[in-house]
Amino acid sequence: MFAYVIRRVLQTIPVMALVALFVFSLLYISPGDPAAVIAGDQATPQDVERIRASLGLDRPYLVRFGTWLWAILHGDMGTSIFTNLPVTTMIAQRIEPTLSLMALTLVLAILIAVPMGVVAAWKQGTLIDRAVMGFAVLGFSVPVFVVGYLLAYVFALELDWLPVQGYTSLSNGVLPWLENLVLPAIALGGVYIALIARITRATMLEVLQQDYIRTARAKGAGQSSILFLHALKNAAVPIVTVIGIGIALLIGGAVVTESVFAIPGLGRLTVDAILRRDYPVIQGVVLLFSFVYVLVNLLIDLAYTLFDPRIRY
Amino acid sequence: MRRRGLLQTPFALGLAAPALAATPGAGRLRVVPQANLTSLDPVWTTAVVTRNHAFMVYDQICAQDAQGTIRPQMAEGWVVEADSLAWTFTLREGLRFHDGEPVRARDCVASIRRWARRDPFMQVLWPDVAEVTALDDRRFRFRLHKPLPLLLMALGQTQFPCFVMPERLAATDAFQQLRDAVGSGPFRFLADEWNPGQRAVWARFDGYLPRQEPVDGLAGGRAPRLDRVEWTVISDPATAANAMVTGEQDYWEYPLHDLLPLLRRSRELVVEQRLLDGTYGICRFNHLQPPFDNPGIRRALALAIDQRDYMRAVAGNEPGGWETCEGVFACNSPLANGAGSEVLKTRSLDRARTALREAGYANEKVVLVAPGDYPQINALSLVTADLLQRMGMNLELVSTDWGTLVQRRTSREPVEKGGWSLIHTTASGQSLSLPVFHLFLRANGDAAWFGWPRDAEIERLRAAWIAAPDLAMQRQVAEALNRRAMEVLPYLPLGFYWQPSAWNRKVTGAFRAPATVFWGVAKD
Repeated sequence: MFAYVIRRVLQTIPVMALVALFVFSLLYISPGDPAAVIAGDQATPQDVERIRASLGLDRPYLVRFGTWLWAILHGDMGTSIFTNLPVTTMIAQRIEPTLSLMALTLVLAILIAVPMGVVAAWKQGTLIDRAVMGFAVLGFSVPVFVVGYLLAYVFALELDWLPVQGYTSLSNGVLPWLENLVLPAIALGGVYIALIARITRATMLEVLQQDYIRTARAKGAGQSSILFLHALKNAAVPIVTVIGIGIALLIGGAVVTESVFAIPGLGRLTVDAILRRDYPVIQGVVLLFSFVYVLVNLLIDLAYTLFDPRIRY
Repeated sequence: MRRRGLLQTPFALGLAAPALAATPGAGRLRVVPQANLTSLDPVWTTAVVTRNHAFMVYDQICAQDAQGTIRPQMAEGWVVEADSLAWTFTLREGLRFHDGEPVRARDCVASIRRWARRDPFMQVLWPDVAEVTALDDRRFRFRLHKPLPLLLMALGQTQFPCFVMPERLAATDAFQQLRDAVGSGPFRFLADEWNPGQRAVWARFDGYLPRQEPVDGLAGGRAPRLDRVEWTVISDPATAANAMVTGEQDYWEYPLHDLLPLLRRSRELVVEQRLLDGTYGICRFNHLQPPFDNPGIRRALALAIDQRDYMRAVAGNEPGGWETCEGVFACNSPLANGAGSEVLKTRSLDRARTALREAGYANEKVVLVAPGDYPQINALSLVTADLLQRMGMNLELVSTDWGTLVQRRTSREPVEKGGWSLIHTTASGQSLSLPVFHLFLRANGDAAWFGWPRDAEIERLRAAWIAAPDLAMQRQVAEALNRRAMEVLPYLPLGFYWQPSAWNRKVTGAFRAPATVFWGVAKD
């Protein structure tokens, strides 16, 4: 097991190197020029050229890539072209809201979606099943920003229960933290809940047909015991896999959600950096997201051993 | 008590940290700025948001009042020698920077030198400046090669203001960005609370020494009446509108025109014009490439445009929300005139089609680049796209983001190689009020603004304007410039719209000025 973890951690190095090369190259060939954005609309072409030179953007591809990679290997993600602040500082300023949003969304989604899927499978073909599946279709179909605006309209503007925008750090108290995050987490969680609920239902339906479930019933086990102890545990591996894959959905959805609710997170930082072509920030954030995704996949692989003792590394 | 407050009560006792019990202070103004404050250096970037930040942090030697006259600000006054070849400025006593250091003449000299390297206006005058030197702690002198009546206007302008910073900062190269924001203005920048893209905060500078005159545009007493000014970046306009309606924010600098009716319906909000001048639409041709290298084809498009369509697309049908302005100088400015502007009042598609045919249009492709993430400029672009199609031109509309557009507009290549034919932008009325910094009126070929028009007559007239001894002569030259511009059409003026701001009724003291500033503003 330990050797497996070490091997997987080592495997992340070439993966991250490829990501670094890919991100840098993609940005290099993509249109856009931070010097032109900095210089402003009133600048002359000569001003733009001088700014480009001062930023080192006129240097050849290999020189720029080599300099950046060398700095990354030394733990330096560079400095934002626009703010002149270290990228690590900017990421540190923004990571808490994004992690909070994703964590709350994840918890809400699992707490809601797994029971929904289990109940839908148990009551297959009934009104409850159709309602759950109907909700799942809705969750998949309605874009995050539409759900966000609707929630803000009802719960912030009309009922005045929750704020429209912003983020309060957890260090300022749990309630203010929750107050700002509940609506964004529900908006972001919609598609995630739909995905997990559907997979849970499908897997549970398959498991509930197994002989050992019939045996459990024959032995007089209670319904909840059958569903949650016998069936759900055996259905857990695909569900956990989907939860892991869904983290990528969360990262993508967080960008939109943070914009709608004005949450100062990494998603918003990424969009702003892309619009301005702030290359060091884009590279830093994408590297971070890639690393998180690789790490989540590793944790999921390890989680399999908890649910299925037959899996050994 | 708001319902949200009621909900919080039983839970907050146990869960909220003590810091949150404090309600927003009366002296705290929460502002949604027009953009994200990414740079603190007003010399390094011309971004309006950085300029607004700079107005809080820095002070100016002289400043522009509501009538456009340049008045002393940090300066107690100035003396011009009889031969007009030397100007001596004297600073007011007791001026201090936020770090406690006194403001000295050498700080002003260093700041002027750094700013002069970037400001297009001062760059025109600089060859005639022999030297700028500090005479003592409170006096500095310009020595000139020839009289420069525009010197004061350059120093006090709002377009690219000359802000005074400590010499140690002003010694930085003009193309290197400053990370510190230490000035002598009415508010201190709180660097430790700055989170670019989300939040920027300023606190009242207790050591600020305002002038005694009442506030007048950007001149007069810049007395800070707020304890703190907090900017929160809300990129989504609908969310910003909701935050204003619910009272989560106090002031929104640039509300989207579409949302003005919603804001006006709220009894808690005031929606008014604060900026003194409008925002002008510009349609820029690429003069290097077909088909708009042909003046006849540029003229054909000019015959078709109707500024009212452009302004409605940007600012809707709101009464007083926009105006037409068929000249190259900002309307209501001293040089505004309509000499030769009949072409822009024709508004005839039929005549445009005929003119297009007569100009020899050979169905060359027209690439119009539109920024989808910039609502106002995108709207201008789409109106032109529609017009070109109705004229029968071979149009390719490229919808992209602003970041891509600003790079693509630097390309001088044919459209087949990534070039462009038409772009749009906006400009403040200030920037179009004088030939000396009117970028779109420059016609010096390679050195001109993107599009690179070349016309010796326009350049000759511009030089004549700079040399004109009085306003009467300046106006005469300005008419000739307008007439010539309407013949060769370096660009098409598209009218202007007013950009109102919205604020909570608890906010008092908001006054009209050429820029968004927060001195004199209070919150009850």
